[in-house]
Amino acid sequence: MTAALTVTSDDRAGSRPPSALSNVVALGMRQLRDAVRSRWFALYTLAFTALGLAVSYVSAHAAGGAGVSGFGRTTAGLLNLVLLIVPLMALTAGAGSIASDRERGMLPYLLAQPIARWELLLGTYLGLALALFASVTLGLGACAAVLAAMGERTDPGSIVWLAVLSCILALGMLSVGMLVSVVTRRASVATGTAVFLWLALVFGTDLGLMAGTIAFKLRIQTLFGLCLANPLQVFKMWSLHVIDASIDVLGPAGTYALDTWGSALSWIFAGALAAWVVVPLGLATAIFARRSPV
Amino acid sequence: MIRIRRLTKRFARQPALLDVDLEIGAGDALALWGPNGAGKSTLIRCVLGLLAFEGEITVGGHDVRRDGKAARRLVGYVPQELGFYDDLRVAEAVRLFARLKGVPIRGVGAVLDGVRLGGQERKRIRELSGGMKQRLALAIALLGEPPILVLDEVTASLDACGRREFTDLLGGLATGGRTLLFASHRVEEISALARRVAELEAGRVTAIVDGGDFMQRLGVGSVLHLTVASPQRASAFEALRTNGFAPRMNGVGVLVPVPSSQKAAPFRVLADARIAVEDFELVSTERASALAEEMHR
Amino acid sequence: MTTLALIACLALGVAAEPGSIADRIAGAAPGDVIEVGPGVYRERIRIDKPLRLVGVGRPVIDGGGSGDIVEITAPNVEFRGFEVRNTGIDLDKENCAIRVLAPFAVIEDNVVSDVLFGIDLKGAPDSVVRGNRIGGKDLDVARRGDGLRLWRSDRVRIENNEIHDGRDAILWYSNGVEVRGNVAHRCRYGFHLMYSDNVVLEDNEVAENSVGVYFMYSHTLELRRNRLVRNRGPSGYGLGLKETDRFTIEDNVIVGNRVGVYVDGSPFTSKKPGEFTRNTFAYNDVGVTFLPAVRGNVLWENNFVDNFEQVCVLGRGELTGNEFARDDRGNYWSDYVGYDEDRDGLGDWEHCSERLFESMLDREPKLRVFLLSPAESAIEFVARAVPAVRPEPKFSDPAPLMQPIAAKASAERDARRGPLAAAATALLAVGGLAFVVARSGLGLARETT
Repeated sequence: MTAALTVTSDDRAGSRPPSALSNVVALGMRQLRDAVRSRWFALYTLAFTALGLAVSYVSAHAAGGAGVSGFGRTTAGLLNLVLLIVPLMALTAGAGSIASDRERGMLPYLLAQPIARWELLLGTYLGLALALFASVTLGLGACAAVLAAMGERTDPGSIVWLAVLSCILALGMLSVGMLVSVVTRRASVATGTAVFLWLALVFGTDLGLMAGTIAFKLRIQTLFGLCLANPLQVFKMWSLHVIDASIDVLGPAGTYALDTWGSALSWIFAGALAAWVVVPLGLATAIFARRSPV
Repeated sequence: MIRIRRLTKRFARQPALLDVDLEIGAGDALALWGPNGAGKSTLIRCVLGLLAFEGEITVGGHDVRRDGKAARRLVGYVPQELGFYDDLRVAEAVRLFARLKGVPIRGVGAVLDGVRLGGQERKRIRELSGGMKQRLALAIALLGEPPILVLDEVTASLDACGRREFTDLLGGLATGGRTLLFASHRVEEISALARRVAELEAGRVTAIVDGGDFMQRLGVGSVLHLTVASPQRASAFEALRTNGFAPRMNGVGVLVPVPSSQKAAPFRVLADARIAVEDFELVSTERASALAEEMHR
Repeated sequence: MTTLALIACLALGVAAEPGSIADRIAGAAPGDVIEVGPGVYRERIRIDKPLRLVGVGRPVIDGGGSGDIVEITAPNVEFRGFEVRNTGIDLDKENCAIRVLAPFAVIEDNVVSDVLFGIDLKGAPDSVVRGNRIGGKDLDVARRGDGLRLWRSDRVRIENNEIHDGRDAILWYSNGVEVRGNVAHRCRYGFHLMYSDNVVLEDNEVAENSVGVYFMYSHTLELRRNRLVRNRGPSGYGLGLKETDRFTIEDNVIVGNRVGVYVDGSPFTSKKPGEFTRNTFAYNDVGVTFLPAVRGNVLWENNFVDNFEQVCVLGRGELTGNEFARDDRGNYWSDYVGYDEDRDGLGDWEHCSERLFESMLDREPKLRVFLLSPAESAIEFVARAVPAVRPEPKFSDPAPLMQPIAAKASAERDARRGPLAAAATALLAVGGLAFVVARSGLGLARETT
């Protein structure tokens, strides 16, 4: 049997150790394949697409009857949907990844291979990210197709922008999810934590900030600064900024931001979201490198 | 190939390994022997760089903490149970790990043939039996001909038949000049594979003995459990007893302690006596006493 | 003036064409037609006798960046086919491209570019301004002049002009003016009426100005089939009404403005109600804003589609003095939650605006930053579920329509279905590709070499 193996694989001398990139890609492809075949992916994609189509249809219908077209409001409806679903999708996907590997005992086996831990983490991250991209672009693409078919005159650029920004939001939320996944031992706990975080980000922080605005008469720059701390708010403001070319829709805070930061605003939003991508993932990598995978 | 110096591992202050020193040379085959909780798996995980520890471990000269990737490149690892992506197909799993190990593969089929999994390429891992999974794990461990093989209770979750098959496969490999480090609490595995045995107890290495001596120290090598049809069971017992063995009866046959070098002798005796052996199994002494008790119940 | 222009010409050393335009005017008899061939004429022109001045091949009259350019002081002058460009930028002197100081002028088919004031009619009743393109200078809004201005010029017809990047197109004390088929883009006020009565504005497109149309201190006005789109300056009204009387606002499409219609003290004195009908208010931040004391308006058969806030009363208050239905026909509200069981096309329940988030916004405008966030929806959900926190309704429409009224002015001139379909295809292709790649597990199936 040793002979059989020797025949099929080259001499050790002939084989070069694979690069880190090659490992990341291999692990990422595996994760991507796994994600795309999983039930959550199908469910989320279907739910996202169905709700998106409903939003598109309803707003195109109301607008169509009145003889006007979306002017970004269809996009605004989709934006609201993205705000709700994409973070949930990304957070739970990220949270489920490493934690369930650990729970199924897969983690020690994988790490016993000649790979570095960060390679596994990054591969997992990228694989899931690509799966999320596929889900988001499929969903929004279907919406755009329906809008086009209904003769809606939504700016095509805005929907492409929305897709791009949604993907960036997904990256950030996935990053947070991975951090959750790395620090929790059980997959169920990780998923629970992710759902809790989702609730906190989607409803909790905004409602709290609203109450704070009323109770403490927050100054406008404080309010804007605090909004920048919530990735969902950043995504929303960035989307409005690039799609509508104006966040003055957002009242005094928006006008303040425009007046104060002007054209730097895009960079501020990009920076804030980038921080949500890089910081949690960096933390996750650091913790994962130290923690026992068993 | 593997050098362990003053290895101490604590879980929440409780020491799982204390001051372990081990040296495993090229071509050596060291078994880790001891009851559950003695620290066998912990030691193996430290060697693979899966756990943080105090002390020093090098594999092929590579520090497993600082240069874990290079160290693990020299190691093929088979776990107790292949907890693995259930959805993946066998061929895909082999390709994935070949890629991670940087081993070019010309054909997955040949690799699988080597562990008697030929023709199973398209099967998903969840469809494999426990024994097949372990053989797949072995095939993956052997990809790229690593000089070191590390096995952690590889047959613990297999049934008797799968266990024997797997031990046979491994036996064939042990002669391949590979360095072997494995944890086991099965006598027949140790007798088949080990040159030396490190006895662990409560995290300490209590003794390192030669494989043969180890079998002697256990009293005998192993115990053969022979299944014999009930009409012939008594005569089988007599035949063995008269030929110098110390058989015991149980519900389905006889238990015969045998020296590790003469495991086939009872078969000869029974063949001479024209008694048909329907099945046999090599069991540990503990298991043998358990089996013997079954009869009394 | 003529001599000045001549001196300027000589100073610039421009080779005179077969004669400068000023020379030819000087030599012409009243009623003559002067055809001017192509070329760049760097001169100032005064037309002081009834003439037809016709540019052939669009000759350019260049003001050289100072002063006025064309001045018409005689009645019955026709000026067409020119490009007039490059006035001065002196706001006090109101540097202007074409200034008309006499009645019965026809200013047609000119391109007026890089000017402070574009076309300025002062005491020029019964004139026609048609098919001109007027583009302002690239200046800060405060330093711009008006693209088009009427001063005491009654019965003027303003048709099919395109005005962009100016301050206002403004009517001062000019009655009986008809404004039709014009386009105003990126100005301060698209069309601005001051003390001008009996004015009709129809089929104009007024987009991306600071304010679309502003009626002030005027009466008997008709605004019909106009498109007031994305006027989003600091006040950002599609239509503003200040102390205006006897107005009819119908069949307009008012979309994407900060405030669709802003009603301040209108109707002002008369007993005749302000009429709003068959308009579409869509995607404005606020559909219609009323100041608290406003009363006497009737709104029926309008579409209110997805305005962030459909109707707003500034500074809180009720709209009891205004009607939201006439002859048992109300308006279409995209946020109507009732139903139509008897199938008469009208909702069986009245439509009340009682959105909690809106009333919070009225109290604390800063909260607008949470617009479009799921938290906003959560608040509305709570308000619906818990009557105790429901705000008082601002207004009620007793007969809400179940279907929108078809708009007569289209929202956008050219449908761009192609690019959207392309975007859809691109997104689906990218997503689909990732999906297919993922499912096939290409990376795993590929032989490593």
